Amino acid sequence: MSPTDNELMTEVRDGRVERLAVLFERYQTMLYNFFLRLTGNRAASEDLVQEVFMRVLKYRAGYLGDSRFNVWLFQIARNAHIDHLRKQKGDLPLDEQFAEAPDRGPLPDAAYEADREAELVRRALDRLPVRKREILVLFRFQNLKLREIAELLGCQVGTVKAQAHRALKDLGRIYLELAGGKAS
Amino acid sequence: MTCERIQEKFSDYLTGDLDAGSRRRVQAHIAGCAACRADLEDLTMVWAKLGVLPEEQPGPGLRHRFYGLLEDYKNALPAAERPAGQAERARPSGSRREWFIFRRPAFAASFASLLLLAGLGAGWFLAGGRADAGRLTLLSREVQNMRQEVALALLDRSSAADRIMGIGYSASVDKPDGRTLEALFEALDRDPSPNVRLAAVDALYLFRNTPGVRESLVRSLGVQTYPLVQIALIDFLVDVREERAAEALKRLIEAGELTPEVKKRAEQGLQQII
Repeated sequence: MSPTDNELMTEVRDGRVERLAVLFERYQTMLYNFFLRLTGNRAASEDLVQEVFMRVLKYRAGYLGDSRFNVWLFQIARNAHIDHLRKQKGDLPLDEQFAEAPDRGPLPDAAYEADREAELVRRALDRLPVRKREILVLFRFQNLKLREIAELLGCQVGTVKAQAHRALKDLGRIYLELAGGKAS
Repeated sequence: MTCERIQEKFSDYLTGDLDAGSRRRVQAHIAGCAACRADLEDLTMVWAKLGVLPEEQPGPGLRHRFYGLLEDYKNALPAAERPAGQAERARPSGSRREWFIFRRPAFAASFASLLLLAGLGAGWFLAGGRADAGRLTLLSREVQNMRQEVALALLDRSSAADRIMGIGYSASVDKPDGRTLEALFEALDRDPSPNVRLAAVDALYLFRNTPGVRESLVRSLGVQTYPLVQIALIDFLVDVREERAAEALKRLIEAGELTPEVKKRAEQGLQQII
């Protein structure tokens, strides 16, 4: 039977750092897509995955193993993303960065263009403020329970539900605008 | 129940986390409330739309960079724990062990690049003779374990390229344990991709003297339907002069389901074995 994430990370914490290779193989794609949906940028997303595993090594001694490993990992991933945003927009206070609509950034490459529907959804997602986008990505794609997202974001489950609800509605409105339909 | 209370349940409704009772209450409410019905329809539409976003794979460079990072970290780790003056150590250098021998050049070319990457990753501290022997002994078991773990993790992936890479890792294990061999047999007999099955034959060739391997390959002859894999198996068994393969080959030929090329190879092989 394969070792659990928690068992592996406990071994990494205790000095068998090569066991991180197994966790890397388990999580690299999930983390990459998490960042890709947040940033829309492949190169930056790969850098961020690398940064996450660098931080896992750096902070391994602090792993307590009392919550699910993926919640701990996504906490690190969120922080790496926040620092990435800070670097991009060093002059803006963080609150404002989270409130503002993101830049479109570089145009997506040909592979992204191939599927018009996916492209439209991605563009709509891109136009959501970072905070809402993050909640939606966590909620829809990362296989996290609402209470785990609440733990990650440091808020109540009810708040996550309300924010996810609002984010979905906003995304729907933006999507319909982009698709040329009427906004609800 | 008020609209507000009902709407609080929409998130769980979408994720399928509502119990049956709550689900019925939501459905009963929206049957009579046009506003909530429209709201839930909008949310469901967006929820479904998000599902069209494809999952992408990171580039192979990420894996390479990660193993570089891990190697550097691992190298720096004991240095900090050593007495002053002994921290400086020869970096792994010199010849890399050739850890996966291809017997079919055409096949080798088809995934050489994948295995190169696997080699860069898995072989991150396959060191030459100049490196500290004590350290190598210390790391050896860890490396072996790590390769087996990574192999098993990769063999479980949905992408055939990942599974081939997993076989590359398993092939770099000196003495594979039962789990690793089982995973290779499983890949050989059941993997939907012929390339993965071929890679499994090549990897198992490296373990041809491990008890149980030849028997499993003889048994696999009766399972395979891909001509290329059948030929690879016959080549393998002829190469090791596995006498127990003779019966299996006879049965294959008599069953009359082989392609002409495979049949010819089986007949030749039979002559070479007996």
